[in-house]
Amino acid sequence: MLAIIKKELKNYFFSPVGYIVIGVFLLVFSLFFFLTTIQSASADLTNLFYYAALGLMFIAPLLTMWTMSGERKNGTEQLIMTAPVNMFEVVIAKFLSAFLFIVILVLCTLMYFGILSFYQVPDIPTYLTAILGFILLSMAYIAVGILASSLTQSPMISGILTFGFVALSTWLPYLLQSFFPTLAETLSNLSLLDLFINFLYGQIDITAAILFITLTILCLAITMIIMKRRKSVK
Amino acid sequence: MVYYCKRKEREETLVIEVKNITKKYGNFVAVDDISFKINDGEIVGLLGPNGAGKSTTMNIITGFIEQTEGQVIVNGYDTIKKSKMAKGQIGYMPEGVPLYGELTVKEFITYMAELRKIKKKEKKQKVQKIMEQTGLNTMQNKLIQNLSRGQKQRVSLAGALVGNPKVLILDEPTVGLDPKQITEIRSLIKELGKNHTVILSSHILSEVSQICDKVIIINKGKIVAEDTPDNLERIVAENNIIYVTVEDNENKIESIKEKIKEIKEIKLIMQNEDKTKKYEIIGNKDVDLRKSIFTEFAKEGITIFEMKKPEATLEDAFMKIIGEGGKK
Repeated sequence: MLAIIKKELKNYFFSPVGYIVIGVFLLVFSLFFFLTTIQSASADLTNLFYYAALGLMFIAPLLTMWTMSGERKNGTEQLIMTAPVNMFEVVIAKFLSAFLFIVILVLCTLMYFGILSFYQVPDIPTYLTAILGFILLSMAYIAVGILASSLTQSPMISGILTFGFVALSTWLPYLLQSFFPTLAETLSNLSLLDLFINFLYGQIDITAAILFITLTILCLAITMIIMKRRKSVK
Repeated sequence: MVYYCKRKEREETLVIEVKNITKKYGNFVAVDDISFKINDGEIVGLLGPNGAGKSTTMNIITGFIEQTEGQVIVNGYDTIKKSKMAKGQIGYMPEGVPLYGELTVKEFITYMAELRKIKKKEKKQKVQKIMEQTGLNTMQNKLIQNLSRGQKQRVSLAGALVGNPKVLILDEPTVGLDPKQITEIRSLIKELGKNHTVILSSHILSEVSQICDKVIIINKGKIVAEDTPDNLERIVAENNIIYVTVEDNENKIESIKEKIKEIKEIKLIMQNEDKTKKYEIIGNKDVDLRKSIFTEFAKEGITIFEMKKPEATLEDAFMKIIGEGGKK
């Protein structure tokens, strides 16, 4: 499993994708850091994570689109599937490598915390809760991305599917509000981004945390089932 | 008609046992109730026309796909029940050499070593040894995407060799290579056969004939022949034919048939400009006519310019066996 994680992380950092993602993320984060904290003379960093979560909607598809479909497209799936590793290890390794990349992004945000500490001590518990929420949301988005990647051998379609899911889970309630207000309200309770917002107020929303973790486990389990099933039908 | 190995089963350790495997895709049967055994140290060629079920069979043995029915045992491990252990016994070189182009040769072989859970202490040394064995030492820091087809083939073979697996499965190992590379890969496979059990598929029958101890011919998902290349060639040598070019101005060849009783038929094939004639002499099976032809022709004053006994090739055997399978 460690071998796959190492290789996947190498892939992120040896290809432009990793650097583009980190670069754009830090650029946008820096911009909002300047606007929402430095310029507004506020020590509240949590708003930044809201914008980071919006950015994650684009980052997650980029990170996961090649995970399974790329192997299938290049035929290298045969190398992994005939090596002495089981499906569980493969899927978890792919998930963990994308997740570790997000953790690296989160660690990069510590520098903003450091910069802000020069002026005023930020609210550490709220900051930590926001990070926790961001990490849980990332887990769910990445798991959705891995599932989408296992459904097709086209990384592009996989990316679109992932973005489609996270975008719909965020904005569908708003789109439906004028036409089906009751349905929109029900769906808004399931909006991943809305559930994440609670973490920005310093609350550890247990229901949201359970939903994120359940969605992660469910998507990874379905991925394993799909991969296993493909072994018997391919 | 199915041709099976006539020789005694070698008293060697059984490494691969394929028991009645069937692979169905809906109503289509890709592999139909196939069974065979492969002993330790054998080099076995899997032959068959496109779509015969060779790659499907190989993929089932490697655990890449699962059979609909039947069982495959690799070195004592069931490929479904003990898949991880079974996969650990096999080094696989897939058709079309899928590789990670963004990795260097050394990184790829190291990655394969890590996937095969080779101990950290031994990893470096083993990777180095395999690179030497496959002649990849000089290009170890090159990106795979920049290598030639032949070099990629070597990298893929190196990946299969990592961890010194008991069984090597090579799907079309020489396809796309130039003649020099083909010779190199063939000698490498021969060399590997000394320490590994090798299953290979190939379209080049002369190659299989040269490399393999045993040949399994698959057609339409079924095994239609299983024997040594020599035996298969012998089986199809239906007629004992000899071609002679002679000078026989008095046309005495007609009387030869009476003198050599084993001759069934003499046919004139061609009359050459230098007045020599080419004949096809068909004899009874399992009789070498050459000695008596020399003696009797000399007695009759017929001068032999050329005598040739055409050998049946594995290609002939293959075409005949596949033809019969096709008719069925």
